[in-house]
Amino acid sequence: MLEDLTGLKEHYLRCVRCGQCRPVCPVFEEVRNEAASPRAKVFLAHLLAGGELTATSELAAQFSRCILCQACTRECPSAVPVHQIVIAARSLLAGKHPSLLQRTIFKGIWTRPGLLNLSVGLIRRCQGLGLLDAGLARRLLPTSSTLPGKLPRYPARAFIPEITPAAGKAKTRLGYFLGCATNYLYPEIARDTVAVLSRLGCEVVLPRTLKCCGLPQLENGEPDTAALMAMDNLAAFRRLNVKTVVSDCSSCTATLKELQAQQPLQDIEILDLSGLLLGLLDNCKPGRNAVKKTVTYHDPCHLAKAQGITLSPRQLLREIGVEYREMDGAGNCCGGGGTFAFYHYGLSMKILAKKTASIRETGAEMVATCCPACIMQLRHGLAKHKEAVQVVHPVQLLAQSLNPA
Amino acid sequence: MNRHRLATELKKIFPADRVLTGDLELRIYSYDSSFMARFHDFRPDFVVLPRSTAEVAATLRLAAEHGLPVVPRGAGSGETCGCLALRGGIVLDFSSWDTIEEVDAANMQVIARPGVVHFKLNEHLASYNLFFPPDPGSTRMCTIGGMVANNSSGLRAVKYGTTEQYVLGLEIVLAGGQVIQTGGVRCRALKNVSGLNLTKLFVGSEGILGVITKVRLRVWPRPKARGIALAAFADLNEAPSAVLDVYHAGILPSGIEVLDASAIRAINLYQPEINLPSAEAILLFEVDGNPASVEWEGRQIAEIVGKRAVSLEFATDPRRMADLWRGRSVVAVAAARLRPDGSRIFAGEDISVPLNRVTEALYKIKELSREHDVAVVNYGHIGDGNVHTAPVINLDSPAEVGRANKLVDAIHRLAIELDGSTTGEHGVGAVRNQYALAEHGEAVSVMRRLKEALDPSNIMNPGKLLPPEGANGSA
Repeated sequence: MLEDLTGLKEHYLRCVRCGQCRPVCPVFEEVRNEAASPRAKVFLAHLLAGGELTATSELAAQFSRCILCQACTRECPSAVPVHQIVIAARSLLAGKHPSLLQRTIFKGIWTRPGLLNLSVGLIRRCQGLGLLDAGLARRLLPTSSTLPGKLPRYPARAFIPEITPAAGKAKTRLGYFLGCATNYLYPEIARDTVAVLSRLGCEVVLPRTLKCCGLPQLENGEPDTAALMAMDNLAAFRRLNVKTVVSDCSSCTATLKELQAQQPLQDIEILDLSGLLLGLLDNCKPGRNAVKKTVTYHDPCHLAKAQGITLSPRQLLREIGVEYREMDGAGNCCGGGGTFAFYHYGLSMKILAKKTASIRETGAEMVATCCPACIMQLRHGLAKHKEAVQVVHPVQLLAQSLNPA
Repeated sequence: MNRHRLATELKKIFPADRVLTGDLELRIYSYDSSFMARFHDFRPDFVVLPRSTAEVAATLRLAAEHGLPVVPRGAGSGETCGCLALRGGIVLDFSSWDTIEEVDAANMQVIARPGVVHFKLNEHLASYNLFFPPDPGSTRMCTIGGMVANNSSGLRAVKYGTTEQYVLGLEIVLAGGQVIQTGGVRCRALKNVSGLNLTKLFVGSEGILGVITKVRLRVWPRPKARGIALAAFADLNEAPSAVLDVYHAGILPSGIEVLDASAIRAINLYQPEINLPSAEAILLFEVDGNPASVEWEGRQIAEIVGKRAVSLEFATDPRRMADLWRGRSVVAVAAARLRPDGSRIFAGEDISVPLNRVTEALYKIKELSREHDVAVVNYGHIGDGNVHTAPVINLDSPAEVGRANKLVDAIHRLAIELDGSTTGEHGVGAVRNQYALAEHGEAVSVMRRLKEALDPSNIMNPGKLLPPEGANGSA
C-alpha cells in the first residue's frame, strides 16, 4: 500500500519553507496568498500528522486546491515530494470525514468498469435528451459539467478488440492502457493509437478486465483503492503475457509509474506513446505524407513534470512534417488536473486563460498534446474564448500521415 | 475593540477576499524559512492583501487607533522571522501587489510596487536591455519590497553592490497612516543630495520604521556577454587566497562564489547533469561586459587561479552558465539532500567577515561544527566576505536541535570576533537582534531614538532588528 502521512514524515520535515515552490505553482500564481502555496500544504500536513490540527472541512478545502501537477515536487531543492504529501493528507482527511458522494463515485462506481460504462451511458442519454442543458439553465448543475463536451456514441472499448494483430509481421507484443478519458471522451484517439501501433508492427493487447489507472482515486483521497486497481491492471497485462505497456494518456502512464514505484510490480515496463512511436518509425520507416498544418504543443504536467518527457512529443511532431511553432509557457499547466477543474472551475478557467492566450499568440492552426484530460480542458477553453484552434493528440496527426500498409 | 469588530473594520478597507481571518489561514502566516519559526506559533490576528497605498494607509490608521502591531510580508522567503507577527496584529501580505508601474528607460530607472518578484522584474527589464543588478539566490520568489526592507544583495554584490545602492526613492506609509516620498516628491534625477537621506534610513529597516509601498530603483544597461570560470581546489584554504590574487591582478568579476566539498555534493545530487568536479572547494568567478572583455578576463582569471587550482573550466555557453548559477542559487536548500533524515536549517547562515579573514572564518566554522557535532555545508559570496553556513540536522532529535542552537550562537559570536557582522544580507529580524549591542554599541541608542520618534507606540514590526526591550544602549 502507499505511504500514509506519518510515513512521509522525513519528507515534510525536510521542507525548509523557502518558497521556491511558490512561483511554479499555477494555483498560487492565480490566488496570490500564502495559503495557496505548496509549502503551506506541507506545513499543514505536518501539523495534521502531528495531531496539532484536526480533520475539518476547512482543512480539506485547503488540500483540495492543488492540481497535483507536480511542478513543486520537481522544483523543490530539498526533494520534498509535495504531491505525495497532498495525496496522503487528502486520504487521511477522507478517512476521517468520508464524503458519501465521492466514495460512491470513486470507490463504488469508478472501480467497476461495468458500472462506470452504465453511468457514462446514462449521462450520454441525459445529454441526448437535453436534460443536462436544462439542468444548467436552471442552475441545478455546475458549469463545470460542460467540461467533457458532448459524449460520443460509443466508447473505444466497444470497437477495439482484446488483441489487434500487427499489420504484417508482428515485431512486438504491446499492452495498450486505455484510459477513461480516451475511452469515453475521445475514442477516435484510441482508434488511431491502435491503428498506428498495428501499422508499425505491434500486436496490441487491450485486456477486457482493464480498469481505470487510479488517478481519480489518488486525487480524491482513495490511494489504497488506486493501488489495488494498479495491481489488478498490471496483473491483467501479465496474464496476457504482456511485458511492455503503452498509453496515449500521460496521466495514466504517470499514475501507473508512480503506483508501480511504490509496489512490488516491477516486471512490467510502462512507456509513453510518443517516445515509443519515434523508435518504431525509425525501425519501420513507413511511407508517409507530410501533414501541412501549423502546430504548437502543450506539455501535459503528468508527462513533462511527472515523467520528465518533453522532447519526444516535439520530435514526433517534427517527424510528422508539420510546421512546428513553440508557444511561450508550453510547460505551464492548463488548469485541468483531472477532477480539479470540476471542483474549482473558476480558478481552473483563470489558469486556462493564460494557456489559451499563449496558444493564440503562436498563430498555429492546431495545438497538440499527449493527455486527453488536457485535450478536454484546452478544447473547453479555446471554445470559450472563441478560438478556432483544433486540439489534437500527436498520434492522430501521425495516423493521417501514414500511408496504408 | 473586539476581534470581530476589527475584522469588520478591515473589511471596510479591503474586499472581503483580501482579509484573512480563518484560523488555518492565520497559522499559515506563522512561518518563514527561519529555524526559529519552527519552534514558535507566530500567528497574526489578521492578514490583509493590500493593492493600494490608500489601503495600507487606512490599515495603519486603524492599527494605530487600536495599538495593533503591523507586519509587512513579501514572499516569506526570509530567514529571520522578519515577516512574522511575534506579538500578533496585522500581517500585510504584498504578494498580490506586483505591478511594475513604469520603466523610465530614458532616465534609467524603474518604479515598482513591493510585491514584484525579483526574477520577474529582471525579465521585464530585459526587453528594455536593462537590469536591476542585485541578484539574490531567492530571485525566483523574493519580492522587491522584501529586498529593500532587508537591503539584500546576492551573487553579484562583488561588482554591483547591494540593493541600497539602487534605491533612488521610496513611498513609505508611516505609523498612523501618513504617506511620504523619500528621495524627492517629484524627483527623477539620478543624483540628489538634498535633505537628510531618508531613503538610506528606510532601506534595511525591516519594517520597523514604516511600510514600503513603492520603490524607485536605478537600473543599469544589461551586459552584452557573461562568462563563468570554475576553479576546483584540493584545499579549501586555497580559495580565499585565489580570490585575493584575482583582485590584486586588477580584475573585478561580477560575482565570486565559493562551494565547499559538501556543497559540491549537494548540487550534484540536486541536478546530476551540472556535474561539478569533486574537490575540497570550488570557486565560480562570473565576469560580464562585452564579449571581448569577458573572454580576456576569463582567460586572465584562469591563468591566475590556475596556479592554485587542480582543475579549471571557462563557460560561456548560456545553458552551462545557467546550470552553474542555478546550482549555486539552490544549494542553500539542496544541502538537505546530503542526509536522508536531514533538514537544512536557516540559522547562523549569513555572517560577513573582512576579506583577509575569510580563510580563518571557514576554518573556525569547520572547527565549531566538529566541536558541536553538527554537520555543516559552507558556500557563499566569498568575493565580499559573506559566508553562508548550512547546518544539516535531524529536526526530530531534540539533542541535535540543542547542539545546532549552540553552534549558531558560536558562529554569530565568531563573526563579531573576526571584525565582521552577524549578517551580510539576510537581515536581523528576531534571530540576530540579541547581538545588536555587541555589534553596534552606543549606536543602538540612536537607533532606538529614531524608532521611538517614528513609531512611539512600537507597533511597526515590533521585536525585530533592535535588541530585546530592557537591554540598554551600551555594548
